[in-house]
Order: sequence, then structure tokens, then C-alpha cells
Amino acid sequence: MIAKKTWREIRVMVLVYMLILELLAIPVILLWPDIYADLQRSTLLRNMGIDWLKRIGEGVGNRDSDIAFINWAAVMLFFRSTNLVGLAAAVLVGTGLFARERESQTFEFLLARPVSRGSILWQKFWPCALGVTVPIFLVNASAIFWSHCIDYDLPRWQLFLASLHAAIYVLCFLAFTTWISVLSRVQAHVAFWVGGFTIVQIGIYLTQRIRQWSLFRLADFEWYGPIMTGNTPMWEMFDPIRGHGFTTYLLLATLLFYGLAWRALHRAEL
Amino acid sequence: MNTIAITGLQKAFGPRQVLRGIDLQVPRGELLGLVGPNGAGKSTLLRTLVGLVTRDAGEVAVLGRDPNDHALSIRRDSCYLPGETGVYQQMTGKAFLDFALGFYPRRQQGLYDRLLAGFELPLAQKVRSYSAGMKQKLALIASLVPDVDLYLLDEPDRALDASVRFFLRSVLLDLKAQGKTIVLSSHHLSEVETLADRLEFLLDGAFVAQERLAAARTRLRSHTRVRLAADVALPSGATVLAREPDGTLVLLTDRDPLLWLRDLPPDAVQSAEVGIARLEDLYQLLLDPTTNQRGGHS
Repeated sequence: MIAKKTWREIRVMVLVYMLILELLAIPVILLWPDIYADLQRSTLLRNMGIDWLKRIGEGVGNRDSDIAFINWAAVMLFFRSTNLVGLAAAVLVGTGLFARERESQTFEFLLARPVSRGSILWQKFWPCALGVTVPIFLVNASAIFWSHCIDYDLPRWQLFLASLHAAIYVLCFLAFTTWISVLSRVQAHVAFWVGGFTIVQIGIYLTQRIRQWSLFRLADFEWYGPIMTGNTPMWEMFDPIRGHGFTTYLLLATLLFYGLAWRALHRAEL
Repeated sequence: MNTIAITGLQKAFGPRQVLRGIDLQVPRGELLGLVGPNGAGKSTLLRTLVGLVTRDAGEVAVLGRDPNDHALSIRRDSCYLPGETGVYQQMTGKAFLDFALGFYPRRQQGLYDRLLAGFELPLAQKVRSYSAGMKQKLALIASLVPDVDLYLLDEPDRALDASVRFFLRSVLLDLKAQGKTIVLSSHHLSEVETLADRLEFLLDGAFVAQERLAAARTRLRSHTRVRLAADVALPSGATVLAREPDGTLVLLTDRDPLLWLRDLPPDAVQSAEVGIARLEDLYQLLLDPTTNQRGGHS
């Protein structure tokens, strides 16, 4: 019942989100031959003083056009689209989950139904989780088709692994937003706290010496590039001891935020 | 067996003590009226019964179960209408009812049809186009139709006009006749009185003793509310207790109020109420320390 209602509330948002991801993907792929030609002529990105921009420039300007295209996909599909649009979708969908119930005075009505609070949280969370993660897989799968239109190919397994990491990254933000939504009485407060946190994270990421402490470091080109080119195998994504294990960190953070949301909802008084 | 059994129930929110040692027994099939001013603790008491609020002290059994440990099973066998309930604005009336009733395994179809016919709601329209009264009717259907043993209704007559309140009264009496237990809180004292088997008056987190309540009501029986035409002098034998903004006078007469009213010229009285216990008058009297001395303490 609650899951169905939640899906009805977010379905338009999810469709728009998927459409935006797709509309961002199509031109960057179809225009790749022209972009690559421009990149070969220009040395601007490769000569930039900022390290991480320079590395992006080197990746997408690689002399092997197939490798350059895969790096281009890592930058555009994941570092840009998922980080910006996916994160915005997760925050927008998660903000109203509980704060809106409080605002519209339906929170007590919902809690008074013969259903546990844990079940309420789960039935609200999973449709949103599917809503923000499934489009990532679908849009990135469609990139294979669009790549064929320009006679390029994308490695399917690596694309899946990068999509998996991107989906968990977005899921982590959804869980964080859900936790704040349980704690907040109005949606504006959720937007304030989550928006503030995100802006601080972006600020840290853009500051050269401290950017390794930003959450965006877990989902930037230097992470997606090696996955897409096959240099980061699956075990390294998940193994925090022998590899980077960034995906595991995000998964653990997601579980932590979900647990905090569960605890906050169980303690919530009216 | 009692449907509700409460002993020494206490609840505080921070430094504010909301419930102070409540004792209450509600037998099966009883319709209990709960009255009291805002902030007296009525809503907190009802929330405690369905496990939405955790008590600080005392023993509570609802349908033989402790709400702290068995809130879910209590909510499965009871229905609670919150006092300030909202309804989902983006849903149609029909979708809202399907959603709200879908949580319960059984519904009273006959009652559902009767309420739909009586309330005349445009169920195909979005709830956001409903008036406050229509939203309350929708919430009432969602709370009365599930086939459960206990109904806890926090101000069910909120935003309803007199004819709908009359209809609701007959519905509640029919539920009671079926052996259902009902606890309802209301600000309409006279209506709760005609409906309830028993009345409990909650004041500052504790029930007022029945003797003290009876004494206060006896005093109120000699009160008269009268609205007079302009330029009419009051006959002797009456003390003005209060003057309301619309010009209505609250009087205490030293003889039978009906006899006193007869001394007024026939055209002088625009309206008069004799001996009607209004909830606000009762509050004032119960909160008045001099009355408490006269009426006795709980």
C-alpha cells in the first residue's frame, strides 16, 4: 500500500530524471567524433595547471580514439551526469518522504495504521531507491546503442560495474536525505541541511590540497576512468583491504544512513 | 473483561507533565466520552493507547495487550482517528479511502455504503478541492469502516455541521449496539453527554472526580445566558457574571431563572438559555479555586 502510494508520488519525477540523463547522454556520444577531433587539435585541457582537469584532458585526448571514447563516457555519463543529476534526483525524491507527511499533518495518520515503522520506512525507501538507480543502468545501457551509431563500442561489463558504483553512490545520498527527512518537520529544513552538506562537499572537492577528503572523490573521473578502461577490476571496487574499496565504503554509508533513519523513525514522537 | 484498563498512567514531554496518574477502566461495548480543554492531555492519552506515544509510568492494557509491546496488534484490532489528521491532498477521495482501508483485513461494507450516502462526498475529485468538513468526513469513513473491536476518535465532530453531527451520532450508537467499544473526545459537551454512557473530564492531565464535576454542574444549572434588546434594565435578583462580546449576559439569579425571566418585558428577550452547561463555563468553574473548595476535591 505505502510502496504503491510512494511510487505514484515519485513516478513523474523519476521519468523526468531518466529523460534528463538520456538527453545529456545522446549528444555527448553522437558528437564525439567532432569533439575528439577538436581535442586532438587543442592542448588546453592537457596543459591546465589543475591536476585532476589535466588528467581528464589526457584521458579523453588519448591517441587511441577507442580508449579516449571510453574515458569520455566515464567523464560524461558518470562523473558529470550521475554526480549532478543523480544526486539532485536522490535529494528531491528523498526530501519529502517524511517531512512532507509532517507538513501536511498525515504523519500521525500514517503511523496509526497497523503497520510497523520499520515497514513504513522500507516501503517508502525501496520505490525511491529503484526510482533513482534503475534509470542509471537503463540510460547507460542505451549508451551502447548510441555508440554504435558513431561506430564506437563501450565495454559492457565495465559499463555495468561503473553503473553499479554510480547507483550505490546515488543510493547513499538518498539514504542520507531520508534520514534528514525523518528528523525534519518541514521539507525546507531537509533541503537546507542536505544542500548545505553537498555544497560544502563540492567546495572541498574543488580545493586542491583537501579534495581527497570530499565524498565526490569516491565518484570522480579518477575512479570511473580506471573502471571503464578495465584497470579497476570488480574485487578492487569492493575490497577495502587490498584495493580501494570505495564501493564498499559507499554501501556501508548507505546502510548506516538507513539505520539512522530507522532509529530516528522509531524514536519519533508526535 | 475491560477493553481498556489503565492504572497510574504518567507521561511528560520534557519538563511538562501531560498525564498525571490516569486511572481508567472501559468495559467492552461502552461508549466513553472524554472532554477537557485544549492541552488537558486527551490526545496524548489516546495516542498512548495505540502505542504512538510511550508512557513514562503506569500500567496500560488495551484489548488485553500492552501498547508498549504490542502496538501493532492493538492497531490491527482498533482504529484511531487523530485529532488534527490531514488527508493526502494529491489523492482522490476514492484513492484515499482505498489506501486507508487497505491496511485492515475486514471492513463493514454496510456501514461504508451508509457513510458514503450520508456524507455525499465527491470521491472522484482530488482531496485538495475538499472543504475542511469534507476532509473530516473522509477521515471518519477511513476510521469507522474497518471492522475492529475498539474505536478511538479524537474530536470526530471537528469541522462538521449540526446535521452531520446528528448523523454521526446515530452511526456511533449503531456501532455501540454491535458491541464495539468507543472512546471519543470532543469539545461539544452537550452532544457527548447525549451520546456517551459515561463522561470523563480531563483537566491538566488528570481526571476530575465525578463528585466535583457534579457539584460544578449543579452550580451551572442556576446560570442563565440571556441576550436582551437594547435599553432594557435588568430586573432585580440577578448578578452579572460575564458579558460576552455579542452582548450576551451570563447571569446568576437568586431564584428560579424561569421565574426571573418572566419579569422581563415580552419583547426584551432576544435569546435565553437556562441551565445549559457549556464546556467553557465548566472549565472556568473547575479552574476556579473557590469552586473547588465548595465542590470537593478528587
